[in-house]
Amino acid sequence: MADPQAMASTEPEHQHREEEEAQAGEDEDTGAQVAPIVKLEEVAVTTGEEDEDAILDLKAKLYRFDKDGSQWKERGAGTVKLLKHKETGKVRLVMRQSKTLKICANHLVFPTMTVQEHSGNDKSCVWHATDFADGELKDELFCIRFGSVENCKTFMEKFQEVAESQKKKEENKDASAAAGLLEKLSVEEKKTGDKAGEEVAAASEGEKETKSDGKPDADKKTEPSSSA
Amino acid sequence: MALPNQQTVDYPNFKLVIVGDGGTGKTTFVKRHLTGEFEKKYEPTIGVEVHPLDFFTNCGKIRFYCWDTAGQEKFGGLRDGYYIHGQCAIIMFDVTARMTYKNVPTWHRDLCRVCENIPIVLCGNKVDVKNRQVKAKQVTFHRKKNLQYYEISAKSNYNFEKPFLYLARKLAGDANLHFVESPALAPPEVHLDLAAQQLHEAELAQAAIQPLPDDDDDAFE
Repeated sequence: MADPQAMASTEPEHQHREEEEAQAGEDEDTGAQVAPIVKLEEVAVTTGEEDEDAILDLKAKLYRFDKDGSQWKERGAGTVKLLKHKETGKVRLVMRQSKTLKICANHLVFPTMTVQEHSGNDKSCVWHATDFADGELKDELFCIRFGSVENCKTFMEKFQEVAESQKKKEENKDASAAAGLLEKLSVEEKKTGDKAGEEVAAASEGEKETKSDGKPDADKKTEPSSSA
Repeated sequence: MALPNQQTVDYPNFKLVIVGDGGTGKTTFVKRHLTGEFEKKYEPTIGVEVHPLDFFTNCGKIRFYCWDTAGQEKFGGLRDGYYIHGQCAIIMFDVTARMTYKNVPTWHRDLCRVCENIPIVLCGNKVDVKNRQVKAKQVTFHRKKNLQYYEISAKSNYNFEKPFLYLARKLAGDANLHFVESPALAPPEVHLDLAAQQLHEAELAQAAIQPLPDDDDDAFE
């Protein structure tokens, strides 16, 4: 039978070496004493997530699509969360880079959003979002990769479930708002018949997922207001 | 220190000078922090590139103006002219290329001629590579010159935050300073029209068939 020593010697040598090297110099301050140049006071820290509950929290690596180079580029590795607002019920996706805790994705999950499989990789998936990570809105195509197929599945299911639930919410909201909106539109249309009005109407119909082809005719639009 | 064409900020900011031989990964390291991407392609820096880099700490937001200088002599530009008013520095070498470590004393000497008594971090980059030429034990320069040393990997993100954390602590004289979660502001409502949605869907379908840059590498944390 194998004796313990022989077993120990079969372990890859580079692993020992790496551990040794990783430890060397770590957190040992060998720097010179230099006088500080600023005096900083401790401040209250706010994550901006105080009014939300995390309904998903997973380790992942995020990529954004570089359209010019037609390639995926790393955006950050850390923790992705789906955060549900305690009052409004709105859900957003927030991802932070580990160690620096900076934000690499921050966007609401809308009913119109769909998360799709990433071809050839069952640990990753893709979606489009109007992202606010840098404090300005940017159209981004995201790909996220997880450590396991299961985590990727969990993420996709939760994402889709949230999008669906937001859809229902929006429908309820629409039911009350639609009548007023459409009435206003039909009045405008009678006055000007302009294209802008049609586009708004088309968008609002799209949200409600009516089976129209996205180009509703004028008769259709005036219908609800006359019946309202 | 901000350049004339750069926005000044009302929170503490520091001029950070980054030096070291060409190809050691200075630009890749800065870019990694700026956008998250890992640039494999080598494009030598000409002269200097200045990038503001913000961090959130328990003592508020701080900014490093990173002066990413050319490592290659022929693209050196103003050389030590870039060091003036530097408040902290990173000297980078490549643990897979012995010469880049041998040149560290020269970079250090030139830096110290212009910037006296500033906190300096020595970074041995590319520690993810299996065949290193400079082992951790062979790195001794920092002990002689009282620098802080970190083994880092811009590729794996190993220790990638440490140089900034160390410098921030020294500049503020606060050993307990640490990074905190930056506030995740509420994203504004956006409503995309059908045409825009269809465009994004088409783009997404195209993107979904492109492989990830590090598909083969499953180890991440």
